[in-house]
Amino acid sequence: MVRPSARPARRAVIRATVVRRRYADAAMTTPEKKKSTAEEPFPVRVVSQMISAWIARLGWVWVEGQVAQISRRPGTSTVFLTLRDPSAEMSLTVTTGRDVLDLGAPQLSEGARIVAHAKPDFFPGRGTFSLRADEIRQVGLGELLARLEQLKKLLAAEGLFDKARKRRLPFLPGTIGLVTGRASAAERDVLDNARRRWPAVKFRVVNTAVQGPTAVPQIIDALKVLDADPAVDVIILARGGGGVEDLLPFSDEALCRAVFGCRTPVISAIGHETDVPLIDFVADVRASTPTDAAKRVVPDLAEELRLISQARGRLQRAVRHQIAREQQRLDAARSRPVLANPQAMVAQRAADVEALRQRAHRTLGHRLARADTELHHTVARLRALSPAATLRRGYAIVQDAAGAVVRAPADVAAGDALRVRLAEGELAAKVVGT
Amino acid sequence: MEELSYEQARAELAGVVEKLEAGGATLEESLALWERGEHLASVCQRWLDGARARLDAATSTD
Repeated sequence: MVRPSARPARRAVIRATVVRRRYADAAMTTPEKKKSTAEEPFPVRVVSQMISAWIARLGWVWVEGQVAQISRRPGTSTVFLTLRDPSAEMSLTVTTGRDVLDLGAPQLSEGARIVAHAKPDFFPGRGTFSLRADEIRQVGLGELLARLEQLKKLLAAEGLFDKARKRRLPFLPGTIGLVTGRASAAERDVLDNARRRWPAVKFRVVNTAVQGPTAVPQIIDALKVLDADPAVDVIILARGGGGVEDLLPFSDEALCRAVFGCRTPVISAIGHETDVPLIDFVADVRASTPTDAAKRVVPDLAEELRLISQARGRLQRAVRHQIAREQQRLDAARSRPVLANPQAMVAQRAADVEALRQRAHRTLGHRLARADTELHHTVARLRALSPAATLRRGYAIVQDAAGAVVRAPADVAAGDALRVRLAEGELAAKVVGT
Repeated sequence: MEELSYEQARAELAGVVEKLEAGGATLEESLALWERGEHLASVCQRWLDGARARLDAATSTD
């Protein structure tokens, strides 16, 4: 809906804006349009003005960082702060009034975190730039810890702590990368304990700051160097115990992400058993102390040798035992009569043959004897049936020429020859009449 | 010549002994079985002796 009464007023405003913009363009962009050349360069003041205008375009921002340096110049109310990014090698100069600092961060010291409301400012006098802060708040420890808790949740949700993403440590690493403070107790603990366990262990040590504003970028660089080294099979991040603030770099988001991004397995060994910086959750293995890291990274040589010789002994005993058992089985098979006394195989059969032969012999003997007896009986019977006894009593047997016994006169005719058998011999006779 | 494993030889030997003990074979068969049995027993023994020798050799080089 358009309200006619409003129209002229709005036009007037628009016109005024356009006019103002034109005026501003004329003042600021004319030199750009003109283009500088070697023959017609811009004077310093013009360039300085241009830079100042560009920088001012950012406007007011809220910025957070770590105070690396504070300089309160005596006699002036201006305070200079070097504000550093805790995760990167970047810093900005912040200027503010002493009153602003006293109001928001009265006990401000180097290393503390602040949040500042500031606007970029260009100083044409020296060609320098800084952030001009009109409000500064110190970030307290409680708030820092609360933020860590928040970061922890964020990283956990992103999966940086996932057990499934953790890599196994090599059983015996080729070279171990070690990131730690120069000549620190942590460095000595890791090196000494690892060498004691495995004398041939190899290290590539990169010394970095382990606290303060430069720690995180230096450690991230060291991680990159070691991760890129193909000889390095595992990386240890070690630091001795310290205050909560000293250990803050090891909960830094950029460092956590760098550890997560490493292709080489990473062991964190920060502080004491009770210290649990966020890096402990991201690392593939969390060691409670630097000494513990040494224990986890290499096996104990003496222990391994003992295990090997133990295994060897068991191996030999097992094989010897089996050979002995098999020998017993073989001996048992061989001592079975069928194998131990093969002669029995023949002897048994020889005995069978002998027995059969004797049986045959005996059987034949019986039969011969029986036959003999039978013969005698037969002869006796034969003898009993003989006509000789009758003949001896005086009887005669008359036979015709054919040998047939003549029993009736009709059996013969006159003139037939007859044989007359007597007891003592025979007679030849002739039939003379019937 | 056939190359029998220890287990093959042992199993066959057990079978031969069983057959011989059961009896019933002809003399010719029995003789052949016995010869086979002796051969199998010596194959087994060779395996065991070889295993023992290898074990001893491995142990003595330690």
